[in-house]
Amino acid sequence: MTAVACDDVSVAYGEVLALRNVSVAFERGRIHAVVGQNGAGKTTFARVCAGIVRPTTGRLAIDGREIRVGDVGAARLSGVELVHQSFALPPSFTVAEAMEFGSTRRTGPVYSRRALERRWRDHLASLDVAARPGDRIRDLPVETQQGVEIARALCSDARVLILDEPTAVLAPPAIERLFARIRRLRAAGVTVLVILHKIHEVLAVAETITVLRAGELVATLLPAAAMNAGDLAHAIVGSANVGATIDVPAPHAARDDKLPALELLGAATRATPDGPPLADVDLTVGHGEIVGIAGVEGNGQRTLVNAIAGLCALSAGRLNCGGRDLTRTSLLERRGHGLRIIPFERNVEGLSLSSALWQNWSARLLVAGRQLRLVDPQRLRGLCRSALERWSVRFASVDQPAGALSGGNAQKTIFAREIDDDAMLIVAAQPTRGLDIAATAFVWAALRAARERGCGVLVISSDLDELFDISDRVVVMLSGRIVGEFCAPYDLGAIGAAMTGASSAALTLATP
Amino acid sequence: MIEALVGILGAATPLIYVTLAGVLAQRSGIPHLGLEGLMIAGACAAVVASKQSSSVAFGLAVAIGVCVLGSLLLWFVIEKLRANPIIAGLGLTGLGLGGSDLAIQSIYGSEGAVRAPFALPHLGAWAGEFAGLSVLVLALPFVVGLLWLALRRTRFGLRLAASGEHPFAARSVGADPAQMRLIALALGGVLCALGGAELALGSLDVFSIGMTAGRGFMAFAAVTFGAANPLGASAAATFFALAEYLGIKAQLVLGSAAPPELLLSLPYLATIGGVWLSTRLRGGINRGSTISELREY
Amino acid sequence: MNAVLRGQLLSIGRALAFVALALALCGGIFTLAGYSATSMFVNIAAGAVLAPHAFVHTLRWTMPLFLMALGVLLTFRFGYFNIGAQGQFYLGGIAAAFIADAWRAGPPLLAIPLTLLAGIAGGALWAFVPGLLRIRSGTDEVITTLMGNFIAALALVYVTSGPLKDPSGSGQVAAGRPVAAALRIATSSGVSFTLIAIVAVVGVLVWLLVDRTAFGILGSLAGRNPVMVRWQGAPSERIAMTAFLVSGGLAGLAGALELLGPSGRLVSGSAPTLGFGAVLIALVCGLSVPGAAIVAVFFGGLAAASLYLPVIAGLPAAAIDIINAAITLFITARAWPRMPRRAQRRRTLESAPQRERVAS
Repeated sequence: MTAVACDDVSVAYGEVLALRNVSVAFERGRIHAVVGQNGAGKTTFARVCAGIVRPTTGRLAIDGREIRVGDVGAARLSGVELVHQSFALPPSFTVAEAMEFGSTRRTGPVYSRRALERRWRDHLASLDVAARPGDRIRDLPVETQQGVEIARALCSDARVLILDEPTAVLAPPAIERLFARIRRLRAAGVTVLVILHKIHEVLAVAETITVLRAGELVATLLPAAAMNAGDLAHAIVGSANVGATIDVPAPHAARDDKLPALELLGAATRATPDGPPLADVDLTVGHGEIVGIAGVEGNGQRTLVNAIAGLCALSAGRLNCGGRDLTRTSLLERRGHGLRIIPFERNVEGLSLSSALWQNWSARLLVAGRQLRLVDPQRLRGLCRSALERWSVRFASVDQPAGALSGGNAQKTIFAREIDDDAMLIVAAQPTRGLDIAATAFVWAALRAARERGCGVLVISSDLDELFDISDRVVVMLSGRIVGEFCAPYDLGAIGAAMTGASSAALTLATP
Repeated sequence: MIEALVGILGAATPLIYVTLAGVLAQRSGIPHLGLEGLMIAGACAAVVASKQSSSVAFGLAVAIGVCVLGSLLLWFVIEKLRANPIIAGLGLTGLGLGGSDLAIQSIYGSEGAVRAPFALPHLGAWAGEFAGLSVLVLALPFVVGLLWLALRRTRFGLRLAASGEHPFAARSVGADPAQMRLIALALGGVLCALGGAELALGSLDVFSIGMTAGRGFMAFAAVTFGAANPLGASAAATFFALAEYLGIKAQLVLGSAAPPELLLSLPYLATIGGVWLSTRLRGGINRGSTISELREY
Repeated sequence: MNAVLRGQLLSIGRALAFVALALALCGGIFTLAGYSATSMFVNIAAGAVLAPHAFVHTLRWTMPLFLMALGVLLTFRFGYFNIGAQGQFYLGGIAAAFIADAWRAGPPLLAIPLTLLAGIAGGALWAFVPGLLRIRSGTDEVITTLMGNFIAALALVYVTSGPLKDPSGSGQVAAGRPVAAALRIATSSGVSFTLIAIVAVVGVLVWLLVDRTAFGILGSLAGRNPVMVRWQGAPSERIAMTAFLVSGGLAGLAGALELLGPSGRLVSGSAPTLGFGAVLIALVCGLSVPGAAIVAVFFGGLAAASLYLPVIAGLPAAAIDIINAAITLFITARAWPRMPRRAQRRRTLESAPQRERVAS
């Protein structure tokens, strides 16, 4: 018996085909994984199944009955619910309101707050979600928000639950708990479609594996028990050439390497909306060193980057770059001393998507120097063109808006702007998030090249595999504090424990 | 004391009706700067239609029709033509101000005020000192209460708020944000018509060109001040009306001792102060799109 | 480059199409109100260009509109909705009138620049308050600048009926004392070499500021994405404040030129729709400085017609307000209405991921 069946589904976004002729039928009562690289069409596929995206062509059947495509209401009535990667819960709502607004349960027209909270308390408890009905969504930690989103999806007898990249925001122990929850749901008769991109997670939870590559099915409903990691990796990546070489822009002038590129001494901040305040952070990044910051998202990584950038004042402690005390300086001065930032949000903090490429690229040059000086846009266009070509960005014209670039090319544009001869300390926050394998390899190569040139590099990532791959040292943050420091070979168990504060031994495990 | 209460109620009622329209729109995700235009259109239509037909009920019905039509036009331009809501709202305001001016000139050939033969029904003798207030004043608490209930204690209210705060979330549970905005704006049109009618026919029984004098914008500010909550916004609107009432009172008391223009500007100053205070308390504005997104690259 | 050119042509075409749509809507409204739409438009054209001296009137209104539109355009580009040009225009006029009145016997070569500077300062001050409130505490500048317009109009009434009251004046409209003839830089026709030269020089300066300085390019970037510019370390607050001050200063300059030029005195309630017209020009020209010069002529023509209509043709001037308003309603539209059937499917499907990006 099939739970969800797609027949010849294609989705076109403008010129781009996100899904091409996908036909697959998922059996009821099992855990199905849909895997693929970034940009392979996984999320689009999940949204088609949930009725949120209307396919250009193709049909969708649930429990053997065909339903109207692109109709959320029809899909939900048939018992299909989707848990989004970045959860679709209005932040100002209370947990109970977030459950109620999506509910299809029949109730009276008007509710009282108490009745509402009573109604959903049991439901939350039955699913083991650690949230009170009166809590506001925005105050909840990410893992709990995910629990609420799952509870919301299950509040109306969902028979098919689709989870879009549910592990991306979780620490290893929380991933284990999520998988346990998925298995309990399966035991209760729910069909689970889980979108994943990490091979070991797929093998840990799935019963069948379906692989998407560039919008096409390359493998359908493989039995997970019979798969090994190598074959699966080959199926996901295909024969794509992942090698990347980077021309180091220019030989780097010899630096005085005695003093570290970055030194935070006893740094502390006040609490911010982005996360907990920093407390007593000591962190050193030497020249020619890549230091990784590991941690569950929302444990002060953003505050750390803000503090290094000077966008969040230190309430205690000092910040030195190359031996100079920059504690009380603005970002502009820090940039003058060689600080470069690849920010968290590529499309918000990194680029102005609606502005021309040349303007985005010139921003760093324009900020330095007197504001009222005359500049020649034509010259800036030329400089931008040659810089982007040197970084092998694929672009049509320097006048095109930055939003027209793919994720990888957008990130390369930011690198082209930020990494120049004067760079001394590069802070790269989630530099490969959302990039495909080739672009990821490019970013890693660029960071390694910067290290070879003697820059200090600080990489913040929630992807431990990435950190293990490129870091010389890994530092773990928890609740705004540094709780452990590790050198290769990395011990996943110990780092995972430090990330969740599960073990106070984390501190003693740290190797100096 | 009671006289003051009557004065404040009279000044606050039209403002609160229009503010409620702004609350609906704001919660659905549209900053509604067309309130001023809808309000004056409502006032003008109510006076003209009741004068022509000799029926207040007919006048009210025409006012509601005109304002709902204006709201639908705004919805179409914002939702279907994807125009900037702030600029489109200002356009609607201009259309209301200019349209009412044109209508008065084409029908009565005068540029001044038009006197209505009737007023809205008043409370009458049983209400004692409040006899001079219109029935719309009496209806106001019910309207505010009902709207509060609808917005804060029903699934409809949650879906409306989700459409404004997180349209994707609304869409993923099957609520169409565009449709929710249509409902919000259309209901708001009805409320604007009532506010306009109350302004013209509540106590003055007259329509004059430009008589709203920025009340629609004040209502918009009251929405911000009151955090788009029907109760809070109504309180904010009452506060602005209080400033207006005090200005008028002070003019009578002080005579020529204080420049009347200063007293007349009290409600505007109160509005600026109120909005400033509310942003101090709740953090600054967070506008999704900026105007220069309207430019080609 | 070709793509850019095509993009620009497309946006110009779309602007023209929506202006045409707005005019059609106005025609409908005129007909509904019992006027002949044809005669209305013919008379508007007469008032703007066809009638004798009409073009001089058009030019006379083009100049203040252009200056104020430059100011509006600057703040719009930088991401702020300064719609208080009207109030800044009035305050500029008031400040200039005080200086001109105090220095009525002063040497014109000194008194005229000083008066103009006072106008700039007055307008800048009126923009400074909303700017400060916006930048320091995030107070919505839409509300504060709008309220500023109402307060400035009252201030104008106060000044013209109080401190600067013309004792010989009579009639319904309060007016201030006339400016000394030696200080006038144009006759009541409002067109003179000095006036045109000042406006042209200011236009070129603003063009340089917006399109050819680091300040202008960074500010435009900040208008589209302030967060990105902050991560570059730009002094965002100073850039924003400067934009507000320059914007108010330009409107204030227009007020001072109005005083020393065509008007010759402060008149309460004068030219009440200039500020709205300036916003409109900025939007229609797509926030481009050279474009504003061209578009300003069109709206200058409408302003001239709004005086021609009631006086010569016996038609209500409100017709012009309606045209302006209808254009405002449509000018920021980004899309044509959805076509039924196939096209509609396409649009829902495209809009889904776009909106999601905004939402998340």
